[in-house]
Amino acid sequence: MSDVLTLSHIKVPGEARSKDEAIREAGQLLVDAGAVSPAYVDAMFEREKSVSTYMGNLLAIPHGTNEAKDAIARSAISVVRYDEPIDWNGNEVRFAVGIAGVENGHLEILGKIAIVFSDTDEVDKLLAARSADELYQLLQAVNED
Amino acid sequence: MQKFGTFLSGMIMPNIAAFIAWGIITALFIADGPFPVGGLGGFGENDAGEPNIGLVGPMIRFMLPLLIAAQGGRMVYGVRGAVVAVVATMGVIVSTDQPMFLGALIMAPLAAWVMKQIDKLWDGKIKPGFEMLVNNFSAGIVAAGLAVAGFFAFGPVVDAVARALGNGVDWLVDNGVLPVASILIEPAKVLFLNNAINHGVLTPLGVQQAAETGQSILFLLEANPGPGLGVLLAYMLFGRGMARSTAPAAAVIHFFGGIHEIYFPFVLMKPILLLGTIAGGMVGIGTLVIFDAGLRAPAAPGSIIAVLAQTPGGSFVGVVLSVVLAAATSFLICSVLLKLDRKRGGDLAEATAEMEAMKGKQSSVAGYLSATEEAVEDELEAAGVVHPEQPRRGPIHRIVFACDAGMGSSAMGASVLRNKIKKAGFTDVDVQNVAIANLTDDVDVIVTHQDLTPRARTMSPSAQHVSVDNFMNSPQYDAIVEELKRTNAQGAPSSR
Repeated sequence: MSDVLTLSHIKVPGEARSKDEAIREAGQLLVDAGAVSPAYVDAMFEREKSVSTYMGNLLAIPHGTNEAKDAIARSAISVVRYDEPIDWNGNEVRFAVGIAGVENGHLEILGKIAIVFSDTDEVDKLLAARSADELYQLLQAVNED
Repeated sequence: MQKFGTFLSGMIMPNIAAFIAWGIITALFIADGPFPVGGLGGFGENDAGEPNIGLVGPMIRFMLPLLIAAQGGRMVYGVRGAVVAVVATMGVIVSTDQPMFLGALIMAPLAAWVMKQIDKLWDGKIKPGFEMLVNNFSAGIVAAGLAVAGFFAFGPVVDAVARALGNGVDWLVDNGVLPVASILIEPAKVLFLNNAINHGVLTPLGVQQAAETGQSILFLLEANPGPGLGVLLAYMLFGRGMARSTAPAAAVIHFFGGIHEIYFPFVLMKPILLLGTIAGGMVGIGTLVIFDAGLRAPAAPGSIIAVLAQTPGGSFVGVVLSVVLAAATSFLICSVLLKLDRKRGGDLAEATAEMEAMKGKQSSVAGYLSATEEAVEDELEAAGVVHPEQPRRGPIHRIVFACDAGMGSSAMGASVLRNKIKKAGFTDVDVQNVAIANLTDDVDVIVTHQDLTPRARTMSPSAQHVSVDNFMNSPQYDAIVEELKRTNAQGAPSSR
């Protein structure tokens, strides 16, 4: 699991108020982590234009295009939770999970995030988490199963 | 049979553009075309005095069969299957002078299938680090072996088929039962043996006749553009999807450009349409016999323009009627066949799509998981995933999620469904995620975002397709688990 998702990649609460700001915020966390170059954030917008990354259950997973994989230095995932719902093409989003994946290094954690978010009880717990640290612990707990 | 048909069309359909490209080049640049260019059309000699190879010949002999082979191989066993299929088909192609479409249609899926079976032998037994080496060499050795086997197995067979068809036509001509010749000519044509029949058998006999009487009916047995035009017109009105939208352009290239090959894939996709072309051919020949009409010389290429240019004044009515009646007959029969086909296979698919569209609306209104069990159950049925009266036959072992890059959504969806299936206790179901471009046709169920489902359908025509608009919490996932309970009952923990 290691450094794909660390506490420093989690932001609670996020500052963004719009979809574009949220993509930028999730992307910036990946840039700050040294996982991607700033060009990757542009690719995230590119990707969003083709098909929305809204996944359901208050979750969106902005990520780059297949062509932008060169801009990824290592696999990483960022998580931003918002206090106010963000309008994601008409859907409500409270969690933006930024993804940079190469060589499937991110699939394990992404799969776990998916399973957490597919369960509305778990989503409620994530919403109730009082800090980034608590959110991190909740997401980490999945790994123990 | 239905599945065989969709498989054939899956091999040919994606390559229709290449047939059209070849048709355009051929119609324009061959020696008899409006802009003859030796280097492109493949006639005459270049500056060094060597014969021009041209684009036309190599494209039909190599490129088109190999494209079909690649697609066929890919459908059976992914990119690996495609590579092996192309190499193996190459052996078949050089085994004879005829364009080798029959060989490609048979050899490509076979080669990919063989590769798949052989890979299974040592699946999971390769020492880590040696996978690349073993995979490349095993595919290389198998492909080489199949190419050699194809060379020796297919060449004589296809040559024999071509010869037998030629002899058959010859015999029918000798015995004066010309209309019956269509039964041999039309199938031979769509297997791209048209030139073997026309130039190998009919033209020499026709030239003799024409020398004696000034004209010969034999020049029109194969070159009559009527039956093919009928097929394409039927597709224009009663076809579906891409076949329907490309048929008009194909009809122009066929009828005015005289490139009959352009309609062959349309028949190969639905071989039953041969009934239409055979009947059209018979009516066309019958008309010529009644009117005692024929051509002065071979019409090459077989366009309406070339045909009329070779028509002597006295035969004009007979030749025109023959083309028109042949086209009308073929059109009528093919239309009925296409319509029947649409009713049988199409209604279900269309109904499912409609249901899916309905479901999309419903669930966006219903919001997340607020639906009660019962509502979910209703929704499932509305979504057309569960057909209680029509359970699928076999158990489901491979489910694949596909999205654009295979990086995000499909991975998450696959995890969610994998988890649900695991919780339900099924151990014999494999859930994977891939980029949509890497889909193969050996999967039982394919889950895609509703925007991508049509594309996924063309990639894997024989799989069951499920559309979702919400990867995290689609009611379709529960539908799939429900379906597993029926289809994979023996995989449940109680019996394992």
